[in-house]
Amino acid sequence: MSTTILRTTLARRLPAAAHKVRHAASSAYVPGGPIYKGTVNDPTTFPPPSRSHGSYHWAFERLLSAGLVPLTAAAFVTSGTNYPILDGILGVSLVMHSHIGFDSMIVDYLHPRKFPLIGPIMTWTLRTATVGVLVGVYQFNTNDIGLTELIARVWTA
Amino acid sequence: MMSTRALGLGSSLRKVALTPSLARNRLVVRNTVARRSIQTESLPPSSAVEILNKQRLNRPSSPHFTIYQPQLTWLGSIANRATGGALSALLYGFSIAYLVAPGTFDSTHVVEFVAGMPDAIKYAGKAILAAPFAFHSLNGLRHLAWDMNKFMTVKGAYATGYAVLAGTAVSTVALMLM
Repeated sequence: MSTTILRTTLARRLPAAAHKVRHAASSAYVPGGPIYKGTVNDPTTFPPPSRSHGSYHWAFERLLSAGLVPLTAAAFVTSGTNYPILDGILGVSLVMHSHIGFDSMIVDYLHPRKFPLIGPIMTWTLRTATVGVLVGVYQFNTNDIGLTELIARVWTA
Repeated sequence: MMSTRALGLGSSLRKVALTPSLARNRLVVRNTVARRSIQTESLPPSSAVEILNKQRLNRPSSPHFTIYQPQLTWLGSIANRATGGALSALLYGFSIAYLVAPGTFDSTHVVEFVAGMPDAIKYAGKAILAAPFAFHSLNGLRHLAWDMNKFMTVKGAYATGYAVLAGTAVSTVALMLM
C-alpha cells in the first residue's frame, strides 16, 4: 500500500525535477552572475605575460606619482608664466595621473566582465575626455596664463 | 552465558532469536521499498553543466564591504580615491569647459567671478579644495612609501595614517591662510 503511494508521488515529482534542470540550463547568462560560460573543466584564461602591461606599467605609474611631488613643489615657488615648460610638464603629468586614476575606477567598478556594454563605453568616453582635456590644457597654457598662475590668482582673488 | 550477561547483551540476543530475520532488518526493508519506487532518468554527460548551473543559482552572494567595521586602513584608501577623483574631475571639467567656451572660462572671467564672492564662500571654497589636495598629496606619499616596502605593518599603517590626518589638518589651515 505504502509502496504504491511512494511510487506515484515519485513518478509525479521526477519529471518536474528534470524540467527544472532543463529550465536552469535555458536561463540566460548574466554577466557577473552565478552562471559561468563553459564547463567546470575549462581552465581559467590568463592574459599573456607582458612587461609593458605589468612591471613597466606599474613602475611608470609610481614614477609619475613621485614626479608630481617636485613638480607641485616647484609650482608653489615659481610662476607658471615665467616657466611655461614646467607648467606644461605639470599639466600633462596631472592629466596622465588623473587618467590612470579614472581608468582604475572603471576597471574596478565597471569591469567588462560584469558590464560588457557600459564598461567599454566608459573606457572610451574617458579616453576621449582625456584627449579633449589635453587639448584644453594646451590651449589654456598657450593662449591664457597657464594652470599654475590660474590657481595662484584664484587663490588670492 | 556469563559473558553475554556481563556485556548486557542478553535482551538483544533474545530479541534476535524470537523475531523473523527479514522484518527485523530495517535496512533490508528500506532498500526493498526504495528499489521498487525510484525511477532513474538517463542524462547525457553534457547535462552536468546544467545541473551545476542550477546549483550555482542557489548559491548565496558573498558579503559586501558594508559588513566590515570602518577602519583607518581602508577608509584612508577609499578617501585617497575619492579626493583624487574629485580633484581630477575639477581639472577635467575646467579644461573641457575652456576648450568648449574659451571666452567664458578664460582666466580673467574666472578670477573676476571668484573675486566677486563673499569672504565666507571664498574660505569655504579654499577649504573644500585644500583639504582633498593636502590629503591626496600626503596619502600619496604614504602609498609610495608602501610601494617601497616601508611601514608594511599594522602599526606602520596606523602611525602613517594618523600622521597623514594630522598633516592634512595643518596643511589645510596653512593653505587657507595663503
